[in-house]
Amino acid sequence: MTFLIVSQIINGVVTGMLYALMGVGLTLILGVLNIPNFAHGVLYAFGAYFMLAVTQLIGGFWLGVLIAPFGVVALGMLIEYFGVRQLYAAHHDYQLLFLFAVALILQEAIILIWGPVGTSILPPEHLAGAVNLGVTIYPKYRLAVMVITAAIVIALWLFLTRTNVGAIVRAGIENRGMVEVLGIDVQKVFLLTFGIGAWLAGIAGSLATPIMGLTPSMGFDILPITFVVVVIAGLGSVVGAILAGILIGLAQSLTTIWFPEAAQVVIYLLMGLTIILRPQGLFGKR
Amino acid sequence: MRRDRYSFLLLAVLAIVAPLVLRPVIAAEILIFAIVAVANNIILGYTGLLSFGQATFFGVGAYISGLMIVHWDAPLWLILPTAVAANVLLAGVIGYLCVQRIGLYFIMLTFAFNQMFYFIAYSWTTLTGGEDGLPGVQRPEWLRDDLAFYTFVAVLALICLALMKRIVDSPWGRLFQAVRDNPDRAAATGHNVRLIKLTSFVVAGAFTGFAGAVYALLYGIVPVDAIYWLRSGDIVFMTLIGGSGNFFGPVIGAVFFIWLSETVSLFWNRWPMILGIVFALVVLFLRGGIVEVLARIAGVMRRRRDAG
Amino acid sequence: MARITRRGFAATAAVATGAAVTGFPYVVRAAEEAAILGLWDFTGAYADVGPLMDVGAQVALEQVDYRAGDVKLRYVTRDGETKAGAATRRAEEAIASEKVGYIIGPWSSGVGLAVSEVAKNNKVMHWFSGGTEDISGKRCHRYGFQWAANPWTAMDAVLYAFRQQNANARRLYLFVADYAFGWSLEKYVGNLAPKYGMEVIGADRHPLGQREFSSYILKAAAKNPDAVFMINFGLDAVSAARQLHSFGLIPKVPLIMSWSAGVEELIQLAPEIRSNVIVGTNYYYTADNPVSKAFVEAYRKKDKQGNPPGYAPAAAYSLAHMTIEAIKRAGTANVQKAIQSIEGAEVEGLVGTIKVQASNHQSIRPYFVLKTKTPKESQGPLDFGTIIHTSSTPQPKELNECADIGKL
Repeated sequence: MTFLIVSQIINGVVTGMLYALMGVGLTLILGVLNIPNFAHGVLYAFGAYFMLAVTQLIGGFWLGVLIAPFGVVALGMLIEYFGVRQLYAAHHDYQLLFLFAVALILQEAIILIWGPVGTSILPPEHLAGAVNLGVTIYPKYRLAVMVITAAIVIALWLFLTRTNVGAIVRAGIENRGMVEVLGIDVQKVFLLTFGIGAWLAGIAGSLATPIMGLTPSMGFDILPITFVVVVIAGLGSVVGAILAGILIGLAQSLTTIWFPEAAQVVIYLLMGLTIILRPQGLFGKR
Repeated sequence: MRRDRYSFLLLAVLAIVAPLVLRPVIAAEILIFAIVAVANNIILGYTGLLSFGQATFFGVGAYISGLMIVHWDAPLWLILPTAVAANVLLAGVIGYLCVQRIGLYFIMLTFAFNQMFYFIAYSWTTLTGGEDGLPGVQRPEWLRDDLAFYTFVAVLALICLALMKRIVDSPWGRLFQAVRDNPDRAAATGHNVRLIKLTSFVVAGAFTGFAGAVYALLYGIVPVDAIYWLRSGDIVFMTLIGGSGNFFGPVIGAVFFIWLSETVSLFWNRWPMILGIVFALVVLFLRGGIVEVLARIAGVMRRRRDAG
Repeated sequence: MARITRRGFAATAAVATGAAVTGFPYVVRAAEEAAILGLWDFTGAYADVGPLMDVGAQVALEQVDYRAGDVKLRYVTRDGETKAGAATRRAEEAIASEKVGYIIGPWSSGVGLAVSEVAKNNKVMHWFSGGTEDISGKRCHRYGFQWAANPWTAMDAVLYAFRQQNANARRLYLFVADYAFGWSLEKYVGNLAPKYGMEVIGADRHPLGQREFSSYILKAAAKNPDAVFMINFGLDAVSAARQLHSFGLIPKVPLIMSWSAGVEELIQLAPEIRSNVIVGTNYYYTADNPVSKAFVEAYRKKDKQGNPPGYAPAAAYSLAHMTIEAIKRAGTANVQKAIQSIEGAEVEGLVGTIKVQASNHQSIRPYFVLKTKTPKESQGPLDFGTIIHTSSTPQPKELNECADIGKL
């Protein structure tokens, strides 16, 4: 039993890190642009499908992981530039609804381009198979994903805290008015933030391909979980989003031991509990 | 107020004509969604709150009505008030938790609660039938006939719309708009903004749940997608495309939405893309919805007439 | 194209208004015509198979040149959206505007059961193929027919064949999709396993649409099963298989996909993953009979990638085929006569001899069990496996829940 619990904890952290990547991207966009990005899930899906395109057209798993997220960045920036930006004058509800419409359109676009049937990408040769961790056997690729996502999170943290651009983005999350007072072109900050958020969704999508496979509906599947991550974390907290992601991963994984049917419901119960006990979220300030 | 009376008259005439051109069950479905869309507009258009979780109430209403019929063979006069009461309670609790937060957080909470109830309905298979849906919801004898059922729905829909109109025109209802236009001022003048928002949310929840309860009778089954969050998206879509600035706008929206998805899906399998594009265009260029188009056309015609 | 016959909702509505106003019937048809509605999931969770099923049904109709004896056949399609609400509405609409008398599809059991109610209320013949037992069980009625093998038949066949291949296997671990279909199969496996000297050592239920199986797999691995027995379908099964492989559990221990879509699932799995799998399916394209051979050839010509048909398009083909057969035998488009003509009949169909049981409208027909090939044995990317067993042993009568099939 102890072995099982330990292995489920490892597993929960790995799954949770992917949720965390999604949650952080959503948090950034939410914090700076003040919109819950309903297209975040579909950006994740495009990360996966661009990955598929790269591996098919050029070949090379890591090349895909490198290139695909930037394809998603381009897509995200287009959405921001031609859509969301036109709506800043309007109520933020309209930006949200626009993104919802974009999500519908892009999901259908996936079916048109890549067909309705799902597919999968194998992990790279050197990460195929599983290793014995003592307590359990565990796929090498998943462990690699844990390391990579941790590195991404640290890099992002350094970017936000140690660079000037990062400081501006952070300022945008904390106090949007201040950025304007400082005479910074807010539009550029918005575009950049949307781009970073899209990149995070894209890399999560491309890394997830060997684990979850690819299906046109994968974006709509992950979107609600991402929202729960942000609600539990509290708006505007990057650290919170990371921890909430891992928390949800753990909750799902551990629930499977005793009550597998509830593995999906549990994250919503967790969310409900958070709202009742701490309405602003675990790390939210406002 | 005279214009409203004309609008209701027009609506009544259309409701009489509808079963002549449409199959009664489809006309009934349109009217059911008209109730839902107008109810949603009380929160969206009148109070300025976007809820992405109206399917929660629609679904719960449908399940209550379905379960009461399947297990107890309960009469309608008991079912419909129960569904309303339960949804008042549910919307009260969810609304209380949601109105503590404003703006985005409000939207995300309604959305997340919707997901939560969806998964409960989905997982609690012994009660709801889960994925397979809750079957065997038989209409009472006198409503077996589709046309009779349509008439019943049409009457209820008109009553619901009239009631909702009364509510938004009442002094209390006018506070919804005050909160929407300037929450700070409403608070400064001694109004409890959260309570006002909550009332609006509960009113919408009650009518949505009522519509859900009627919906369960429509095809004799409560499908689990009645409570799925994409349905909440559809409801917002209907409201907005018809026009959230007008009481009757969402009715047009419901008709247009169902007509559009039925027509486009005949010609192209990827029809949700068209729906998405229409939706995006409305949001970008036509935030007043169809009502705005009609108003513009009417304006042009009036100017022409005046010029002539 | 069959789609020419489609008519817009609006146009129909307009014409119907005209008819209502003038009092003339909208169309006077001279020759007898039967309209068949293909209710396929072009959008929603099963959007992946909808288009394939449409093609499958088209092949069946083209083979007979849209005629069943003297009756002309008209084929219309609607999007079932994998949603009961939309599917029932579309079915109602098509019955009214297209004068549909026969419905085939859709793919999902939940939606299928809802459509079955519509068929019953409107007195329209409904052929369905899917995992739910209820169409020919609890919720049987005179207008509903089940083409898929009974789950009992299927589980019996799979367990038997698995036993033949793995004489030493004892302990099965089950992954079960958490809905009515999963439960009834789980029950049957539990009951039948001892008959073949095996036992169920654990069973985990997961929600439909589950994509992340790692925690279930860890739990299963901790029990050291001799085989993982999956009772799930489509993308759930594909995701689970893929992850079982990444955890190194398969192909070390055999995997059983007990109710599989066949080609549509296997094609999504890399050859390494599917090298030690027992696959139970309602259809496999190497089925050795003339109907199947003709179908496979025609289908591959129409498929964009030239893939052979799996269970989904085969089911669609067969649903259309059985409907045509019923109309042909009745010699008229009259729905009630068509039903009576197929009840108790034997049809030489896609999977061999299909007997339509009159008492509950269950098809008694072979269920296929394959053993997959290793990458070395495989003759090409589409050579997934060999049929090692077929069985049409009917479900024991006392287990069937169809008390009364009812009246027309």
